[in-house]
Amino acid sequence: MIDLGFLMILFLVASFVTIIILAMVITGKMDKISGLKGEITKLKGSLEEMDEQAKLIVRTDIELNRAQEELDKKVTGLYSLQRLSRAISTTLEESQIFQLIESHYLEELGFEKACAFLWDSNKKEFELNMHLGYTREELEAIVLAVNAQKEEFRDVIKSEKTLSSITQQYEKKNLQAEIPHIFKVASFVLSPILPKEGDRGLLFVGTDESEVILSEGDEELITILANHLGQALENARLFDKTWRSQQGLEQKVEERTRALSKALSDLEAVSRRKTDFISSVSHELRTPLTSIKGYAAILLAGKIGDLPKDIRDRLDKINRHSDELVHMVNDLLDIARIESGKVSMKKESLDLKEVAEKVGDLLAVQLKEKHIAFNIDLPDNAKSIVADRSQIERVFINLAGNALKFTPEKGKITISARKTETGTQIDVSDTGCGIPEVAMHAIFEEFYRVDNAVNQEVKGTGLGLALVKQIVEAHGGKIWVKSRLGAGSTFTFEIPGEA
Amino acid sequence: MNVGIGVSTSRIPVEAAQDAVTRARISLRSTTVDLAIVLSSVEFALPAVLKTVISLSGTSHLIGASSLAVIHEKDIEKHAIAVLLLSFPETIYSNAACVHEVSLKSGERSGEELADKLLYGFKNIHRDLGVIFSDGLKAQGSDLIHGLQKKLGTSFPLAGASASDNLAFKKTYQYYGGEVLSDSACAVLWAGKLNFGLGIKHGWKPLGKPRFATKASGNVIYEIDGEPAINIYREYLSFELSKLKKDLKKISILYPIGIFVPGETEYLLRNTLAIENNGALLCQGNVPEGSMVRLMIGTKVSCLEATREATQEAKNSLGGRKANFVLVFNSVSRYILLGRRSKEELAIIKELFPDTPVLGIYTYGEQAPLESVSYQGKTYFHNQSIIVLAAGG
Repeated sequence: MIDLGFLMILFLVASFVTIIILAMVITGKMDKISGLKGEITKLKGSLEEMDEQAKLIVRTDIELNRAQEELDKKVTGLYSLQRLSRAISTTLEESQIFQLIESHYLEELGFEKACAFLWDSNKKEFELNMHLGYTREELEAIVLAVNAQKEEFRDVIKSEKTLSSITQQYEKKNLQAEIPHIFKVASFVLSPILPKEGDRGLLFVGTDESEVILSEGDEELITILANHLGQALENARLFDKTWRSQQGLEQKVEERTRALSKALSDLEAVSRRKTDFISSVSHELRTPLTSIKGYAAILLAGKIGDLPKDIRDRLDKINRHSDELVHMVNDLLDIARIESGKVSMKKESLDLKEVAEKVGDLLAVQLKEKHIAFNIDLPDNAKSIVADRSQIERVFINLAGNALKFTPEKGKITISARKTETGTQIDVSDTGCGIPEVAMHAIFEEFYRVDNAVNQEVKGTGLGLALVKQIVEAHGGKIWVKSRLGAGSTFTFEIPGEA
Repeated sequence: MNVGIGVSTSRIPVEAAQDAVTRARISLRSTTVDLAIVLSSVEFALPAVLKTVISLSGTSHLIGASSLAVIHEKDIEKHAIAVLLLSFPETIYSNAACVHEVSLKSGERSGEELADKLLYGFKNIHRDLGVIFSDGLKAQGSDLIHGLQKKLGTSFPLAGASASDNLAFKKTYQYYGGEVLSDSACAVLWAGKLNFGLGIKHGWKPLGKPRFATKASGNVIYEIDGEPAINIYREYLSFELSKLKKDLKKISILYPIGIFVPGETEYLLRNTLAIENNGALLCQGNVPEGSMVRLMIGTKVSCLEATREATQEAKNSLGGRKANFVLVFNSVSRYILLGRRSKEELAIIKELFPDTPVLGIYTYGEQAPLESVSYQGKTYFHNQSIIVLAAGG
C-alpha cells in the first residue's frame, strides 16, 4: 500500500514537474511564435511599404514614358520635317511641290491622312492639290464639302492661324466641330499656306486613330510644314516670274540682234555695191584718162608742131592733173580690190629698217627742203615683220608722206617699233599740227580730209589713210592714231605674228 | 538548304511582289523552291500579290502573315513585302497546312485540325519544329497551342507569330497558298535533319508584392487576391476606370500582367485586351487559376538586354551548327516601347548572327517553348516577347 501511495506521490510529483517543464517549453514556444509573428508583421509591413514604393515607381514611370513618348514624337517629327522641307526646297516648280509630300513623312509625323488646297481666285473655289490616305470617292465628297463652306475655310487662311482639334477658344466652333466629319478623322491640324504673292491655301493633316492624342507639338510641326510650303510656293512663283521675264528679255535681245544683223548685212551689201561701183567707175575712168594723158603728151612733145607758151603751160597742167587723177583712180581701185578681198597679201619676212630707210630716201628731197629730221628707232626684237612688201611700203610712204605734209619746217618724223604679245607695233610720229578731236573718228574714211590750213593749201585725195587702213586690216592688223593739236600725231599700226 | 530573301518597298503591290521574288530568286542558289514564306505590311495582303509570288517562285507551298513592319537585314520597313524562298535537301521534309475560322471552331479544335493536316505523311519521320502564323486579334492563342500539342506532343517545339496590322487593331492577315485569310492559322512542319536554335525573352521585371489569380478561367482573370482583377491597375496607376478603359491597350503594353512560372528566369507575360463590366481582365493568353501574378515593368535597356539574351539562347541551342536563316517574331509592344531605338534590336541580332540572313515581323502574340526542365520544352503563348529562330541544314 505504502508502495502504492509512494508511487502515487511520485507520479504526482513527476506529473507536476512534467507540467512545469511543458509549461516552460510552451511559454518558450509561445514567445518564439509571438516573436515570429512580430517578424511576419514586420515583413508584411516591409512588403506593403515595398508595394507602395512600387506604386510610386509605376506612376513615375508613366510620367517618364509620356515625356519620352512626346520627345520621341517630336524628334521623329522634326527629323521627318527636316527631310520633307529639304525635299520641298529641291523643286522650283509649283505643281511638283505638293507631290513631294509622301505618306511616310506624314506617318512619321503621326498622321495618315492629308489634303492640300489652294484657293483659285479665278474660279472662286478651293482646288485640291495633294491628298494622301483617301479614296477617290472620299476625295470628291471632301472637295464638295470644303467648297460648300469655302468662306469659313477662307477665314482660316485670313486668320493666318493654325486650327486643330485641340485649339482652344476658336471663334468658329462650328467649323472646328465639322472638320472631323468632313475629313473622316478623329484629330486634325489645319494650317494656312501663306505665300506672299498669288493664291493662298490650306494644309490639312489628320488621323482617325482615336488613341492618338494630339499635342501642341504636332500643331507646331504642321504649322512649320505649312510655312515651308508657303515659302516653297513663293520661291516657285518668283522663279517662274523671273524665268518668264528673262525669257522675254532673251526674246527681245534675239529680236534686236536679228534686226542689227539685218542692218549690218544691208550695210555690207551697200558697201559691197559701193566697192563694185568704185571699181567699175575707176576702170571706166582709166581708159579716157589714158587717152587724155596720151594726147596731152603728144601735144607737149611737139609732134603736131610747136605750141605757144600759154598752151604749153595749160597742157602741162592737164598732164599734171591727169597724173593726179590716174594716181587717185589707182588708189580707189586698190582700196576696192583689197576691200573685196580680190588682192591677196604675198607675205614674206621684211626688214623694217630697210623699208623705213627706203621711205626716207624717197622723201629725202622734201625732208631736206623743210629741214625735217627723219629718225628710225628699231629695237633688236622688232626689226622685222611678216607682210606683203609692196603693200607695207605703201603704208609707210602714205604715213610718212602725211607726216611730212603736216609737219612744219625744222620738225621731226620718227619711225619706231616694238614687240607686243600679238605681233609688232610700228609708230609713225611727227611734230606736226595735230588732228582736231572732231576729226579723229573720220580720218580713215575715204575722201575725208581734215579741215585745216595745210589741206587748204596742199592737194590731196583723201584716200591715203583709207588705203593704209585696208592694207593693215588685210594683214589681220589694226591701225589707230593719237594726236594733240599743235603737238603732233602718232599713227600706230600693228602687224600680227612672229617675224 | 538553300535560302533566298527578297524585300521590296515599291508602292504598287504586285510590282513589289515581283521585285521581292526576283531578288529572292537571285540570292537563292537553287532552281527548285520548296516553300515560300511571305511577310508583309497590311497593304500587301492581296490575293494578287500571293499569286504573283506563287507564279514567279514556282511553288504553291506558301505561308505567311501581315505585320506592322517587316524586319530585314538592313532595316525595319513599315511598308514592305519580304519573300523568303527555301529549297530543302533530301534529308529535310516540309509540310504546310492551314485551318480556317478558328474562333468559330474553338482554338483547341482548330489546333488539333491543323496538327492533323501537318502530320499527313509524316508518320515515321523524326519531326523537328513547327512554325505557325495565327490571327493576332483573336483570343484563342493559348487554346490553339493546346490543340496542336494534343496531336504533336506536349514537348514538341513550336515557334509562332500572331499576325499584326498597322496598329489599327482591326484586321490581321494570314497567307496560305494564294489565299489571304483572317481568323485562321497556317503553319509549316519540318522533319528530318533540320538544325535549329530557339530563343525567347521579353525583359520585363516584376514589381510590387506577389498576388494570386484567385479566380481565373481560360484567358479571363476575374479576381486577384479576392478583389476584381482590374484593381491591380487602379491601385498601381491610380487611374480612373474610364481612363483605364480608354488607355488599356497601351497601359498593358507598358505594364503587362506577369505569371510566375517556377524554374523559369522570366515571368510569362499577358497583355490585356479589355476590362469586363465585373472588373475582370480579358487577356490575350490563358492565365491558370491560383497562379502568382505580378504587375510587370519594362525599360528600353531591359528590353534590349532580352533581345541579346534571346539571340544568344538561339545561338547556344544551335550548338555550333550553321544556320541558313534567322526568323524573328517580335512583339509590337517592343516596337512601341523602344520607339526610335527599335533598330538596335536588329543590330544586336546581326551582331550575333553576322553572316546569316535575317527576316522577321512584329506580332500581337508569340508562341514558343518554355526553357525550364520542369516544363519539358512545352510551348506557351507569350506576349511582349522576341522569338529568335535560327535554322539550317
